[in-house]
Amino acid sequence: MSKVRLTPDGLPPTNEPLRVAVRRLRWFKAAFLKHAEEMGAELGSRFEVDDTKLAAAFTRWLDAIELQRPADKSQRRAFFEFAAALMMRELTVDMPLKAVGEPSRAQTGSAAAFWPEGYCCTLFCLSVHAAATAQEFHADTTIDPAIDDLRHWWSFKENTIRDASFSAGFLQMLLGSQPNWVMPDVFRAKPRG
Amino acid sequence: MPRPNLAPPDAAPLREALRGIRFLLRRGGATVADTLTLDALPDPAAGLAKRMIREVEGLARSVDEAASAAAKGVLGGHDNPAEKLDEIVGHSSAAAEFGRAIYTALDAVLRRIGVDDAFISEMSARAVFAAWRQDHPHGQPQDWAADLTLRLLAARVIRGAVPAGSGSIGRVEPVAVFAVLLWLQSDRSESENEAVLEAAADIALARATEIAATIGSGDQGRIAALYRKYVDHV
Repeated sequence: MSKVRLTPDGLPPTNEPLRVAVRRLRWFKAAFLKHAEEMGAELGSRFEVDDTKLAAAFTRWLDAIELQRPADKSQRRAFFEFAAALMMRELTVDMPLKAVGEPSRAQTGSAAAFWPEGYCCTLFCLSVHAAATAQEFHADTTIDPAIDDLRHWWSFKENTIRDASFSAGFLQMLLGSQPNWVMPDVFRAKPRG
Repeated sequence: MPRPNLAPPDAAPLREALRGIRFLLRRGGATVADTLTLDALPDPAAGLAKRMIREVEGLARSVDEAASAAAKGVLGGHDNPAEKLDEIVGHSSAAAEFGRAIYTALDAVLRRIGVDDAFISEMSARAVFAAWRQDHPHGQPQDWAADLTLRLLAARVIRGAVPAGSGSIGRVEPVAVFAVLLWLQSDRSESENEAVLEAAADIALARATEIAATIGSGDQGRIAALYRKYVDHV
């Protein structure tokens, strides 16, 4: 069991189903800003968020979902998870946030200390996914212990800087799925099972 | 004796005139300061010129403040209306409401884009809406919004917009008008109004190139499709 704590309960309230609210920039932005603020406080740092980059990531994410959404309803749950991976890809293509100062409260050698921005975006995607999955499928989200292994984060950062699609695979791995590392951001290429 | 039923006078034309004066004074002051290089003048001409500009600027500032106070206070400022375009259309005073909504929202969006001082014509927006309604609009709200977008831009509802700093987005007017009409079509509660306008501006900024090109094509169908694409995601 990973030591990382997700914060699905910390997301802003909404009268709409989360799967709908998350596709509205007003809620997505409020959720991201709240998450970044709380994560910054937890790590002893502060995150500056670029509104335009965040909106650009959000609109690219909408495009990606629209493009890849399967017609087959039986794949709905699998695509739900994949949508979180696509969100991760778009956030890492052009990071909408920047840590100001060292994360003084992050444990030395931890993922949060190693790459605060990547850590913050990852936990945001996982938290939104966990909350939406609980609401939609009444299921808990389990995080793979790989999240505590700094070697995965080294690989994640190094590969993502070269090719942001890698981050989609990283998120699927953290959700316990086997990504297709050749095309980690293509739903049709995802291994079935 | 029965009281005559007098309608209150329409303050909008006066408000527009005051805003015009305020814009000219602000822009005029900035232009003088930006244009003259007084340090190159020999004394006593430099000292004399500086004193004169200070006096003119002081005069302009006091008139500007009076005009701003009059425009905002005496004639009444606006809150962003929470009603949607398809709701406003049915009202008896729809054109006036549309003009006020466009003015207030454009003012907020332009500031967010980095344009601190532009002239926004509430009267032009009102006239555009009245003419559009007379033409018996058809289709969905996104089709109306596309038509209104082109008409508002043709009527130059925004004048003198210059984006500040390096974050220039090029064609400010279509992006700002798109943001406002996107907001005007979006489902929102009164408490969400401001956040939704901000989100619409963020989407418009993030997609500025696509939006400017689509509106620049003049193709109403493509503009309506762009509104349709984003209206549920603001």
